[in-house]
Amino acid sequence: MSVKNVLAVALGILSAIGGFVDIGDLVFNTQAGATFGYQLLWVVVVGVVGIIVYSEMCGRVAAVAKRPVFDLVRERVGFGAGLGTLIASQIVNLMTCAAEVGGVAICLQLLAGLPYRALIPLAVVALVLSAWVLPFEWIERVFGYLGLGLLVFAVAAIKLHPDWGRVAHGFVPGHHVGGSLLVYLYFVVGLLGAAMTPYEVYFYSSGAVEDGWGLKELGLNKVTSMIGYGLGGFLSFSLMIVAGVLFLPQKIDPQFLGTPPLAAADTLGQVGLLLALVGILFAVGGAAIETSFSGAYNTAQFFGWRWGKKERPAAASRFTLTWVVIFALALLVVMTGYDPVKLTEYSVIFSVVALPLTYLPILLVANDRTYMGSNVNGRLANVLGVLYFIVIIAIAVAAIPLLIVTNGGQG
Amino acid sequence: MSKHAEVDIALGILDHQLVDSNGINCGKVDDLELTGLDTDSPEVVEILVGGNAWRTRGLLWRLAARLAGDAVHVPWSEVESVSSVVKLKRPASELRLDRGDPRWSRLVGKVPGS
Repeated sequence: MSVKNVLAVALGILSAIGGFVDIGDLVFNTQAGATFGYQLLWVVVVGVVGIIVYSEMCGRVAAVAKRPVFDLVRERVGFGAGLGTLIASQIVNLMTCAAEVGGVAICLQLLAGLPYRALIPLAVVALVLSAWVLPFEWIERVFGYLGLGLLVFAVAAIKLHPDWGRVAHGFVPGHHVGGSLLVYLYFVVGLLGAAMTPYEVYFYSSGAVEDGWGLKELGLNKVTSMIGYGLGGFLSFSLMIVAGVLFLPQKIDPQFLGTPPLAAADTLGQVGLLLALVGILFAVGGAAIETSFSGAYNTAQFFGWRWGKKERPAAASRFTLTWVVIFALALLVVMTGYDPVKLTEYSVIFSVVALPLTYLPILLVANDRTYMGSNVNGRLANVLGVLYFIVIIAIAVAAIPLLIVTNGGQG
Repeated sequence: MSKHAEVDIALGILDHQLVDSNGINCGKVDDLELTGLDTDSPEVVEILVGGNAWRTRGLLWRLAARLAGDAVHVPWSEVESVSSVVKLKRPASELRLDRGDPRWSRLVGKVPGS
């Protein structure tokens, strides 16, 4: 591999790390840490391996068969169930987009000190403009790289000198201490949902098709999904560890998005606070664009429209209008004043319900030789794929009952 | 295309992407018109796209199909090849499959940079 290629891969990985964490991970990882300390770290590992398995699979399908996820959904589960999946995924995309927009406005508020309500439209205008003006690669890069500000949480986690023995213990599932079993299970579902959000595979596979991936990119696909998402998982660990050290003993419930950055301020002063806020701003802003695009990708792919950021907006006019409309609707949702953190919790839990019908077609097509030729799933991908599919079905069934019974993790 | 190619109609053609001769997406195979079902060699004669091609897809869609108007009928002879997509021999405009985006492109086209 040439130096230029290595650089390209490294940059791709960096933007994947910065792009891994969104408002769902921020909310669930810090709340889980504040409630159960390090005891749920193992769930993050399970979730990260899951997203690696399925994004590698859908990236491979995109590279070999040139088909993005929602093409597969319609081809494999048919019109009726496909339409059901489309509607469910659109509701979740919209909720997630709204939550991320709310997150952007909160960060701007903390940075600029202006009123939250006034900053919401500003946030939406800035995001729509960025999505309109920047080429596809630059959206990924700008938001991905600046999202790396979140690495302050990794530094903070180390500087806080957690009891590393207990941290290590958290990577092994076992009896939990403190809190009820149902709340513990609610966080298991939420953390898995936050790590495996469906929009990540929609965006990843459509992005691969947009980038014109072919057989040459199969290696890049493996590296980006494994290392990018794998290292992204470290940010999730850091958030949970920081919350476990700082918030659990004080009984602080991080019900406000401004709470996690305080952890960075506590250990790294003003610079830490600033980096944390900028990191969250861009990680969450990038996710807002990804969710709005995912909504447009899904609709266009279900109905067979022209789609893609690389198309002229007027040529793929229905695709363009769809993502703009999603932003407009997200604006309306956030302007109602509904708490973005609550919205995030609901969006993650509902996204879990949409997971099975998103992942099943990927698994089926990745095994279909008429699409994949010799690049069908190997044994490892199939064993993990089936195993995770069973996990996904279990959490999809449990998600909403747990949300109701635990009153959103409040116990 | 070769009449001897083995393709599972339900899995390999129905609900697949239609791509025109310029490589542009132009709808999905929403339904298929078959003849000779009572004979030994049933044949696909037409692809139905959009509009009332959805009429067979349930109650709600019968209503939507009524509102959406007629489906576009594409003769099977216009099919160039079937892979993971159904590739057509001619540009979408010649097959009346280009009705969606132009309708909205005047609106989107007003924005700078479009």
